[in-house]
Amino acid sequence: MAAASTSAVDPAKKMIMLTTSDNIDIKVEREVAERSILIKNLLEDLGSEGDEPIPIPNVNEAVMKKVLEWCEQHRKDPPATQDDDSDSRKKSTDIDEWDQKFMQVDQEMLFEIILAANYLDIKALLDVGCKTVANMIKGKSPDEIRKTFNIQNDFTPEEEDQIRRENEWAEDR
Amino acid sequence: MARSRRHQRSLSASNSDTSASTSPERGVDDDNDSFMLQANDSVSSLAPSISPHSEDDTVRREIEERCRVSPICRLPAELMVSVFAKLSSPGDLKNCMLVSKEWARNSVGLLWHRPQTNKWNSLHNVVQSVRKADSYFDYYNLVKRLNLSTLANEVSDGTLQPLASCKRVERLTLTNCSKITDLSLTQMIEGNRSLLALDVTGLDSLTDKSMVTLANNCIRLQGLNITNCKKLTDDSLELVARSCRHVKRLKFNGCSQLTDRSIMAFAMNCRHILEIDLHGCGLLEDESITALISEGPHLRELRLQHCSLITDNAFLRLPNDKTYDSLRILDLTDCTNLLDAGVAKIVQAAPRLRNLVLAKCRYLTDRAVLAITRLGKNLHYIHLGHCNRITDAGVTQLVKLCNRIRYIDLACCSLLTDNSVHQLATLPKLKRIGLVKCGNITDRSILALAKPKQVGHNGPVAPSSLERVHLSYCTNLSLAGIHALLNNCPRLTHLSLTGVQAFLREDLVVFCREAPIGTSCLAP
Repeated sequence: MAAASTSAVDPAKKMIMLTTSDNIDIKVEREVAERSILIKNLLEDLGSEGDEPIPIPNVNEAVMKKVLEWCEQHRKDPPATQDDDSDSRKKSTDIDEWDQKFMQVDQEMLFEIILAANYLDIKALLDVGCKTVANMIKGKSPDEIRKTFNIQNDFTPEEEDQIRRENEWAEDR
Repeated sequence: MARSRRHQRSLSASNSDTSASTSPERGVDDDNDSFMLQANDSVSSLAPSISPHSEDDTVRREIEERCRVSPICRLPAELMVSVFAKLSSPGDLKNCMLVSKEWARNSVGLLWHRPQTNKWNSLHNVVQSVRKADSYFDYYNLVKRLNLSTLANEVSDGTLQPLASCKRVERLTLTNCSKITDLSLTQMIEGNRSLLALDVTGLDSLTDKSMVTLANNCIRLQGLNITNCKKLTDDSLELVARSCRHVKRLKFNGCSQLTDRSIMAFAMNCRHILEIDLHGCGLLEDESITALISEGPHLRELRLQHCSLITDNAFLRLPNDKTYDSLRILDLTDCTNLLDAGVAKIVQAAPRLRNLVLAKCRYLTDRAVLAITRLGKNLHYIHLGHCNRITDAGVTQLVKLCNRIRYIDLACCSLLTDNSVHQLATLPKLKRIGLVKCGNITDRSILALAKPKQVGHNGPVAPSSLERVHLSYCTNLSLAGIHALLNNCPRLTHLSLTGVQAFLREDLVVFCREAPIGTSCLAP
């Protein structure tokens, strides 16, 4: 009885269940999970109870746990406004300290987080992910970028030269 | 200024409220992207499991292998574009283009969204790449913003003509490129259905021909700045008003041939106007002004400086039972036919006015000022310079009822005395005060302005918030008053004291800067 009445008082603290792609159930507070707009909408569509586990077929356990760690840290963040957007434009690759540490993972995990944030519709996390990758690109030569991400150069020398010439105007400000 | 900030807004697809298609175009050869999507989308309906062919298997295994070797390959094109959108430097984007074919496809749109055209060499290179027959990408389709204003003195028709193939330009800024004529501008606009904003300020050889082309092509237009294009007439602008019905921001300053005919057409056809500047459109009469206000439910800023034919009737003819709550800024500088009755009606019709400029409306009296007090806390900015019939009684009421005023100018209101300034000094948010040629005021006024103020009834005492103070030709002032001002106003950045005898001393004059039109400055 007591448990039921507390959850009635604070629905944000109510636990819900997520089932990951590798069939693992993860218990999480509703407020935390609702940083994901996809999950939020699913919960709304399913009705207020939310006792059924919610299948998240695109995200495996390891990535989901990592994403939920971020959601927990940012559970009270105010929703982003248009102003924030134009502000962040100025220093487009600034990332707060906690997020920077959070993003210190191997590349495989980094891109999985980005894909998950995109799929789960967590705009702020997607943003941090993209900024992290952008920071890995900044200031590097094409060759250094290729090395960083292990990318094959599929241009012929002529093509590379042509692109270089046609985009000569693009200099650092 | 808000305008130019808007121009600098993000390239990213996420905030495209004004331009519907800021996201970069992608080439047709994008099959890789759908591959990638599929590979990542394990739940996807894209991959119904009909007995898998071995070929599909091979392809799948290849992709898996690629992603294992290079994890970034997992990101689909749209997410790579989001990553590239975080790179603000064109140099970084160019380096991304040179990484691989796929990277080139995903970054070229962002790089060419707004090519750098602020140096002659860059512009020359951009032009060459755009007109090249066998260029690696169709750059001309990617350019969305083109701004030649930093090279205004150099560019001519010959510069703009080769860029005429860029038919998807959304913002074209040619401010003060005065060598540009109808010849290249019409070529540039012809066939462009995407243009949202055109700025041709100071292109004084432009004729109606350009504006007719604009009307015939650019039906999505939202912003038009034709300041000082003096040859333009009602004939073409009426056409613009009839076809470009989504316009929001219009600047027709100095287009002195315009009359009510074209402005009425804008008022009646374009219901989304937010801002219209008609500074110096001296032929305008009351009818078009009434229509702009009564027909434009969103109108926020209306500037009518030196439209000297305007009378009270422009406002008195507004319906009595309606208010125009969007209107925040109204500038009627030098509309000398405006009388107290007109001002009273303005305040009644636009109760949320924040900035009201009535400088040189010289027939206004305290009655107009009393009417203005009805704006109450909404009023932040009031200019009554040269309204020299105003007295202390009016100013006292104004201060009492409009205590959020941040900016007030009472230059040449020669009836005002220290009593007015004593009242003004109590305004808690006052930043800028203009009292040029208020010859009666003395050091008592200045001491009052310098005095720290109590915030609220029992609140803390805060120093004055004054930033700019204009006291030129207040000939009774002495050093004592100004000392107090300098010592007590920590935010003061500007002080003008031209023609104040006490300051014409050699040891002080050294602090003066070159006087602009009739003022000089003594910096603290």
